[in-house]
Amino acid sequence: MSILNEISENLQKGKAKVVKQLVQQAIDENIPVETILNEGLLSGMSIIGEKFKNNEVFVPEVLVAARAMNMGASLLKPLMAEAGVEAAGKVCIGTVRGDLHDIGKNLVKMMMEGKGLEVIDLGTDVAPETYVQTAIEQGCQIICCSALLTTTMCEMENVVKQANEAGIHGKVKIMVGGAPVTQAFCEQIGADCYTPDAASAADAAVAFCKATA
Amino acid sequence: MPVMTVNGKAYPVPVGIRLSEALAQTPVSTAWPCGGLGRCGKCRVTAFGALSDPDGQEKAFLSEEERQAGVRLACRTFVLGDCRVEAAVSGGEAIQTDGGAGVSVVRPAFRRFGAAVDLGTTTLAARLYDTSGTCLASGGRMNPQSRWGADVISRIQASMDGAREEIAACVREGIAGLLRDLAEQAGIETQAMDGAVITGNTAMLYLLTASAPDALSRAPFEADRLFGCEVEAASLALPLAPGAWVYLPRCISAFVGADITAAIAAAGLCRSGKTRLLADIGTNGEMALWHGGELCCCSTAAGPAFEGAGLSMGMQGANGAVDHLRVEDGELCAHVIGGGEPKGICGSGVVDALACLLRLETLDETGLLDDDPAVLCGDVSLTQKDVRMIQLAKSAVCAGMRTLVQHAKLSWEQVSELLVAGGFGSYLDLENAGRIGLIPPELVMRTRAIGNAALDGASMLLLDQALREETEGMARAARTADLSTDPVFMQWYTEGMFFETPD
Repeated sequence: MSILNEISENLQKGKAKVVKQLVQQAIDENIPVETILNEGLLSGMSIIGEKFKNNEVFVPEVLVAARAMNMGASLLKPLMAEAGVEAAGKVCIGTVRGDLHDIGKNLVKMMMEGKGLEVIDLGTDVAPETYVQTAIEQGCQIICCSALLTTTMCEMENVVKQANEAGIHGKVKIMVGGAPVTQAFCEQIGADCYTPDAASAADAAVAFCKATA
Repeated sequence: MPVMTVNGKAYPVPVGIRLSEALAQTPVSTAWPCGGLGRCGKCRVTAFGALSDPDGQEKAFLSEEERQAGVRLACRTFVLGDCRVEAAVSGGEAIQTDGGAGVSVVRPAFRRFGAAVDLGTTTLAARLYDTSGTCLASGGRMNPQSRWGADVISRIQASMDGAREEIAACVREGIAGLLRDLAEQAGIETQAMDGAVITGNTAMLYLLTASAPDALSRAPFEADRLFGCEVEAASLALPLAPGAWVYLPRCISAFVGADITAAIAAAGLCRSGKTRLLADIGTNGEMALWHGGELCCCSTAAGPAFEGAGLSMGMQGANGAVDHLRVEDGELCAHVIGGGEPKGICGSGVVDALACLLRLETLDETGLLDDDPAVLCGDVSLTQKDVRMIQLAKSAVCAGMRTLVQHAKLSWEQVSELLVAGGFGSYLDLENAGRIGLIPPELVMRTRAIGNAALDGASMLLLDQALREETEGMARAARTADLSTDPVFMQWYTEGMFFETPD
């Protein structure tokens, strides 16, 4: 089995230490950083994402796989900066104002990182202007809003409004998700994309970034 | 104005009204677990005539066959002209009014007859007492507010959207109807009741008193009213004697309500030196730990999986629900409420189902089913998605208990007892609940179901006014752990989603 396959397999099992060792070994073998990332770490995470979407694996498996991915990626990051490798896109994500739930948001973040996107995590209880400011200052292509309560999802409309007022809404796409959110709601508030699960969100985000690249 | 004919009876309705709203004024009460967002597909009715065409969301829920037969989702359908609706009239379901606590008269809060009411999110339950402390009648009914959603958040949203007075009137009418039933059962005039206690979770008391619930709707979730007060029965439009008062027990926080205060009182949790846990498992799991003279509480969002909503074949514990399952000679053996054809599965059945599937090894420790869906009995099955939803729910409840115990720096041996309050708890097979990790397996042998303890507590507060001060003080002194930002909880929550193999 190639070392890249080994990285992918161990990542899927959540073996963070083994993944880290293998990534170091691959670096030492002079395998290009981008190859290690794409064919080792991201390919493993993408399999987990697909299984999660099909309900074959669950939240705990995703969490341990993501931890393994981050351990491996921490070794690659400085090298990627040196080599001038750029992320597939940049996203800021957060749970909307008034809402403290963050499991769903964290899953989306992990899945997006698993697709090679750079994700800025704004945490929970995020004010609409914070999303918009971050998107402007950091040059994000996408703003992702999560809400778990019927009473807080209306904040997403404020994010859309703020983005419109700042004049960035054409360039920056707004994605929404969370238990009470529906496609109809997404259209009603003028957001750009709704996805029912974390893996689809990552796929949609990658598609957006490719389209704007 | 067009006419809507419902089960043969005509009602004038305005053009453009949502079918679910039009039905709300008729005796046909459909459940709206998702609050009319078109997400759950539980508000199916058969309807014909001038109605809006099904939208994409509705089509996603209905099979071609169903659409041919005129099945519609009431929350996604609009009345355009004369129409006809056929739907089942909601029937009385098994609502628990029994408790475990002995109730005695000391200083009753009434002169002739008094009523104790537990205003639950899903059901109402009540008892009628005379001055000797004899329970003359008891009964229950569904909480009619369910048409604004099965969960409290949907109803809070509806209240903020302008339905505050309507929601209050609806639940007051429900309680009034229940009190009239009790009076009739006991053969007294309703007006002979001259005192009452109504307990319920914080949101229910807000909605009952038509208080603006904005503070309960968003972080930091700090209630601006905690009750522990008397209000005039007339102000709640209750048909008690003129000048009668109603006592609303004190809530502990926005998510730990007066129902828990009452349950704690009924269990005498804070009256003994023993370290004990009390848990009420429903849409929200509320827990309280009494240790070293301190009461610490928390609440977790379990979701509606244990109340039947949300699951593909979930239903309440009514006729046709699979409520228990066991494994016999390697086969699943189901018990169906009422003994007829199984139509769905209720909370206690769900817990048994997972434990049995684990035993049969058709469900693995990560929650993966061999076959999706897993057939349980007749047409009733559980899908992989259902199992995932139950994993989230059971883990949230168990992690809440583990977090309280860990913060108090206790080991499980030091917890002398776990008391499980509420209807679901009473029908629960405790061993199976431990097997799937809904309650900590370490505590199964020391777990006891105490029935509708909230109603017991309300009865005690009705029959002994002196207890009010004590429970209010207890509620005031209680600490609440905020789990949403607690790393200890998050760790237990994610770890507890699997099914640990017993040693």
